[in-house]
Amino acid sequence: MRTLVATIRKELLELRRDRAGVLVLLVMPMALVLIVSLVQDNVMRATGETPIRVLLVDQDNGFLGRAIEKHLRLDGGLELIRKRGDREISEEAARKAVVDGEYRFCILIAPGAGAALREQVRRRAVESFVPASNPAKREAPATVPGLILHFDPAVQGAFRTAVVNSLQRVLLGIELREKGAALSDTIERKMRQGIAGGIPLPPGGDAANQPPPMRFELDTEPVLKLAEAPDSGGRSPRRPTAAQQNVPAWALFGMFFIVVPVSGALIRERQSGTFRRLMTMPISLAGLLAGKVVAYVLVCTAQFVLMVAIGAFALPLLGTSGLVVGPEAPTVAVIALAASMAATGYGIMIGVLARSYEQASVFGAVSIVIAAALGGVMIPVYVMPRSMQAVSVISPLAWGLNAFQDVLVREGTLRTVCPNLARLTLFSLATLSVAWWSLRRSRSGE
Amino acid sequence: MASESNVPTEREPVRGDATGSGAGDEILKVHRLMKVYRSAETPAVDGIDFVVRRGEIFGLLGPNGAGKTTVISILCTLLRPTSGSVTLCSQDTQRSPARLRSLFGLAPQEIALYPSLTARENLHYFGSLYGLSGRVLRNRIEECLALVGLSDRGGTRIDTFSGGMKRRANLAAAILHSPRVLFLDEPTVGVDAQSRNLILDNLQALRDDGATIVYTTHYMEEAENLCDRVAVMDCGKIVAEGSPRSLVAAMDGCANLEETFLRLTGRHLRD
Repeated sequence: MRTLVATIRKELLELRRDRAGVLVLLVMPMALVLIVSLVQDNVMRATGETPIRVLLVDQDNGFLGRAIEKHLRLDGGLELIRKRGDREISEEAARKAVVDGEYRFCILIAPGAGAALREQVRRRAVESFVPASNPAKREAPATVPGLILHFDPAVQGAFRTAVVNSLQRVLLGIELREKGAALSDTIERKMRQGIAGGIPLPPGGDAANQPPPMRFELDTEPVLKLAEAPDSGGRSPRRPTAAQQNVPAWALFGMFFIVVPVSGALIRERQSGTFRRLMTMPISLAGLLAGKVVAYVLVCTAQFVLMVAIGAFALPLLGTSGLVVGPEAPTVAVIALAASMAATGYGIMIGVLARSYEQASVFGAVSIVIAAALGGVMIPVYVMPRSMQAVSVISPLAWGLNAFQDVLVREGTLRTVCPNLARLTLFSLATLSVAWWSLRRSRSGE
Repeated sequence: MASESNVPTEREPVRGDATGSGAGDEILKVHRLMKVYRSAETPAVDGIDFVVRRGEIFGLLGPNGAGKTTVISILCTLLRPTSGSVTLCSQDTQRSPARLRSLFGLAPQEIALYPSLTARENLHYFGSLYGLSGRVLRNRIEECLALVGLSDRGGTRIDTFSGGMKRRANLAAAILHSPRVLFLDEPTVGVDAQSRNLILDNLQALRDDGATIVYTTHYMEEAENLCDRVAVMDCGKIVAEGSPRSLVAAMDGCANLEETFLRLTGRHLRD
């Protein structure tokens, strides 16, 4: 016990003296959480979380432009910008704004596009009554050129596809309505022509018995709607915001970087001879290691508290959604504690096994980046190739991140996160056991 | 007086007078001690025997690579010998190393202190690990700081100390718990004459208080003045053992321990 208490005190004293080091330990992860959350928030905005700003250059100035604008506004995915200041945007200015990266893309409606669409639809409606046996009177179907999309070259594939799909859907709706209207006009006209050509009217053939005017208008509102259910468990999860996703992920990443100072401190002890002195003293190795674990777990916990505070209070001040811990705050604390122990255990193991500071710092840092990449900190595990998804289950950061997401996004409880807590705890025990075993061997001169 | 032919052979080390000031009963006994490191062709320590008596200052001398630090490491339970035994205070160090660790203190060759902590904080930590606490620990820290002449610098960080001050603080950490045997691995290396003088005075004072000291050094004059007995090591073997005066006397034409040492170990470089 005396070894434990004395070592905790000594480690904290050393950390307190290394103010620059502590500042780096606490401030760098905070900066990481802040910056990545803000960056990711923008990505989420650009990929559907909030409307994308789009330039619309309508040179047609007819129904087509108005219909596109109306449907896109209803759709909510794109925010149309027609004017800059008080002036309509010219085609040239719009193209430049896109090339310069000011806007991601622009929609250009060529002059006469609306009229050409209606003419083409009317012609097809008329031709649909021409018998198939009389191909001479049928014209080849034609498309209406006149709608052009300009993309910023830096826009990525998935984003292009999403925008094109969204526009196609709107255009399909407009086209369908125009076709419906044209078809109803054509049918009505055909019926009147048939009556005028001698088709007998029913008895009492007055005006009331004339063929009724047809209203074959098609609404673009879908008949079958796809609704988004809360989830299969009947709970109502929060919409995952950038903060809910990123703060725990990058907080974990920052906490695991404690590996570098922990292993570095051990290497320095070994190189300076203090460890040699310690090994000749009447102390237990377990007490010595436990003292180091407790001291660094306290540092990790402080890191985590600060990063959560940044997520909850600083991010909203910068215009993004903040982290909401919710009613499971104690569970979040338990996960943070388990992750801190895993990180510290790993750092101690590296510090004991590595032969130089360079070895420990490079291996420690790179292995954490790899574990973070595998664990879904940088990109979600579900978008990884299957082989990588299979490997990701061995990353302690994946266990920590899954546990945090279970609580913060999926509204899980302590019970839900138990398997991942167990994994983190076993990992810390395993790494500390390796360190203890290695020190024991070296202490007994083997 | 020994002639040139007295230069030791493998089987016959030079034996000088075994008596020294304050010599008592055997507190440390080394018997046929051998250490062969893995992948090494020759043993680092090659079957050596020696005893150290209570209240004695015993010097382990030898050129670089002679095996002195390996011997100190084995005596401190940091290394397991390949064969042979070490008995400290009548207990086998291999059988009960944990029990023996409170009986001795070590001042390693390196400055084994935490540079960002003050001298007092370092001593407080090491003293706590030795089981000292409260007023006893505080008093002992002040006594040790006074002994090594650092009373007024106890609150200063180690990394601001001069080389001599660091060495003295290193010694203070080794004697905090009043060990019965003190192992010192080159305690005066790289320090100025004043600090060295103070350290040597301290060691004599400790010996006078009943401590037994085993120490290694490259400074022959220091060993000649301080040690009751010395063992000269070369290539893992003890090539001479006895009081410094008797060893000098045993070598024909040698005026001091340094000349004797060079005669025993040769003048060729040991890289």
